[in-house]
Amino acid sequence: MIVIPYVLVVMLLIPGLTLADDLAVDKVYHPYVQPMEREVEWRMVAADGDHLQRLGIGQSLNDRIFVEGYLLAAEEGDTFRLEGYELETRIQLSEQGEYAVDWGMIVELEKAHQEDEWELATALLMEKQWGRWVGAANLWLEYEWGDEVKDEFETAMAVQTRYRLSPAFEPAIEFYGGENTRALGPVAMGDVRFGAGKKLHWESGVLVGLSKKTPDTILRLLAEYEF
Amino acid sequence: MVMAGPPIIEIEIKDHLFYPDEVRIPADTKVKLLVKNLDPTAEEFESYELNREKVIAGNSEAIIFIGPLSAGEYPFFGEFFPKTAQGKVIAE
Repeated sequence: MIVIPYVLVVMLLIPGLTLADDLAVDKVYHPYVQPMEREVEWRMVAADGDHLQRLGIGQSLNDRIFVEGYLLAAEEGDTFRLEGYELETRIQLSEQGEYAVDWGMIVELEKAHQEDEWELATALLMEKQWGRWVGAANLWLEYEWGDEVKDEFETAMAVQTRYRLSPAFEPAIEFYGGENTRALGPVAMGDVRFGAGKKLHWESGVLVGLSKKTPDTILRLLAEYEF
Repeated sequence: MVMAGPPIIEIEIKDHLFYPDEVRIPADTKVKLLVKNLDPTAEEFESYELNREKVIAGNSEAIIFIGPLSAGEYPFFGEFFPKTAQGKVIAE
């Protein structure tokens, strides 16, 4: 499968890369796409009094491809401003349960609002179920370039172990690793249904920094309305 | 050597009902459900117990892999017409 060399490339690049610029805590993606799905998504990551928010709107193109566009806004100190734009494409590579691991991938292009700063990122998405437990992992390979940023490759990873307690409430543990990030902590999530094909998915977590360069406490929130 | 794939079981959605509404499968065996939506409207095959949700457009079909499952009953429903579209997988 094409994913095997992809994993090897990501894993080989991880040790040798220079420091990443951003906190690598965001969300854990799952490798599934539903046809005829639309969503509005808001998420926030807060640490050390600052926070980054994303507001996105997405639509599946078919049963394999989902595209979403985001506006990014950041609050640093007393300033809240538009930070950038992001276009994301998620691709489901295998049917859920078809193989021992479910596979997907994601490609993102991000542009800073005012600065000449770009980032192209891709991740391999994996998910595996063991009874009521589900494990998910995202392996990221990113390239930054522009006048305001050093041209460089970066890597990151996100891992989630989730217990399927009930549709309304599922506890999980997440780990995020990047060049400047080592964070681990509990996360809770669930769905609230509003009728045929309409539901609100929420996630909330508090992660603890495990390295000197990671903030001591990181809050992450997500709300996603599917319709 | 030709590897045999998982057994295929067909389910039809018609007039917002599942046919059959009881799907018997062998326990501890992966099964491929071929769900044919004969209605002109979309339906979503959904089951928290099976950890599956799949939207199937009107007049189209979808493949859903389930299992291996322990012996037991696993309810599923159609999210767009949940009052009528109900069924269960029985692993035995």
